[in-house]
Amino acid sequence: MGFLESFRQNFIEENRWQYLTDGLKTTLIITFFAVIIGMLLGFLVAIIRSTHLRTGKLLIPDLICRLYLTVIRGTPVVVQLLIIYFVIFASVPISKTFVAVIAFGINSGAYVAEIVRGGIMAVDIGQLEAGRSLGLNYRQTMISVIMPQALKTVLPALANEAIVLLKETSVAGYIAIADLTKGGDIIRSQTFSAFMPLIAVAVIYLVMVVLLTKLVNLLERRLASNDHR
Amino acid sequence: MITVKDLTMRFGDVTVLNGISEQIEKGEKVVIIGPSGSGKSTFLRCLNLTEKPTAGSIVFDGQELTGLHDRELNLIRRRMGMVFQHFNLFPHLTIRRNITLAPVKLGILTKEQADDRASELLKRVGLADKADAYPAQLSGGQKQRIAIARSLAMNPEVMLFDEPTSALDPEMVGEVLELMKQLAEDGMTMVVVTHEMGFAREVASRILFMADGKIMEQNSPAEFFSNPKSPRLKDFLSKVL
Ligand SMILES: Nc1ncnc2c1ncn2[C@@H]1O[C@H](COP(=O)(O)OP(=O)(O)OP(=O)(O)O)[C@@H](O)[C@H]1O
Ligand SMILES: [Mg+2]
Repeated sequence: MGFLESFRQNFIEENRWQYLTDGLKTTLIITFFAVIIGMLLGFLVAIIRSTHLRTGKLLIPDLICRLYLTVIRGTPVVVQLLIIYFVIFASVPISKTFVAVIAFGINSGAYVAEIVRGGIMAVDIGQLEAGRSLGLNYRQTMISVIMPQALKTVLPALANEAIVLLKETSVAGYIAIADLTKGGDIIRSQTFSAFMPLIAVAVIYLVMVVLLTKLVNLLERRLASNDHR
Repeated sequence: MITVKDLTMRFGDVTVLNGISEQIEKGEKVVIIGPSGSGKSTFLRCLNLTEKPTAGSIVFDGQELTGLHDRELNLIRRRMGMVFQHFNLFPHLTIRRNITLAPVKLGILTKEQADDRASELLKRVGLADKADAYPAQLSGGQKQRIAIARSLAMNPEVMLFDEPTSALDPEMVGEVLELMKQLAEDGMTMVVVTHEMGFAREVASRILFMADGKIMEQNSPAEFFSNPKSPRLKDFLSKVL
């Protein structure tokens, strides 16, 4: 069977290409909302942890955060996804996509938290002392002095984390979500040809990752060019 | 104005301040000198509770500070300016915003008032043309003068300086000391940790010599330099003069 024939069979026949486009849409939706949840959760955890490290306050919240980080970073994301779907939401009739968003968001949050905490702790302690010596409280100093500096240093790493997440969502098929990867796999099971659909899936991921990485590099250069330090 | 009593500071089992009692009057210019590691910075940082002392009391304007909650301490810190060895300017903000940040955030001045105040202060420290620059674009001496202006924006009643010229290239020390002299002449209460003996001699109303977490000796500048009593101070002076 020639290349064109194979292409026709895998993608044109019975509109199979829609498995890929619908899958891509699902992948993007899951990634987008998981990134948002991951960022919110990650920043919250990072702020709690760095506040504890810098002031000794928030002992109990810090303990909870550390437990969260250990568990999430110490177990595979697929296992987390399965547990959240089959154990935690077992008896709740709920959209699978929603479950995936929650699972990947919680997972990403742990990595975001460590990136952001690193950024906060990398800001010289003298900045906090200067802010406090002027009478600003801890929160005001965090918001006006520490976070803007921390954010700038971690922005590229955060963007990379989002790109990693885009690829990680490819295990969503474990709870029978028809994401991009699953879409390719469905075509494979229908046409009994593996090469075309799987390579197509790989190419789509690759193009997205390469483009996004280019964007991050651009962002990085922009940040560096208006670096006031 | 500031009364320190039995101030003790321990880091782990290292005693850095060993029961210091001292009184600083309004308008005084107290200069603190002493060998490295003797606890000068720690003492200064305790005065506005940047460092929380292990024991002892610090009374500022009739108010005991060591037991205060953060909220009350923040109000106290507004009234005590602090100038750091490494300036600690906010690198992401323009010079103007460095100066106006605290007064505006704390609701003491409106943005317009604060901008006017910043212009006034920048003129006073001789850097009126730098309002829109960023800290990284300034020399060390200029940075320190901005840091002083930033403190002054809060109208502090006392200013604490921790080796304000130690991180500067020699040719920039003079401009900062000159500004500090002006402040002194304007009547500011000042506590200054420094190695600049010329400044101490000229500006101090009193010089404290710290060693081993204690104030070993203190005197008026003239007596301090011409008639040191303890062997430690004699030894120290023989090295730095
Ligand atoms: N946060 C801290 N934790 C542990 N030890 C500390 C801490 N801060 C200061 N020290 C120790 O306390 C001692 C006194 O420090 P301090 O900075 O007050 O000295 P100093 O007189 O200012 O010295 P220098 O002239 O070098 O600035 C030093 O031995 C220092 O190592
Ligand atoms: Mg010091």
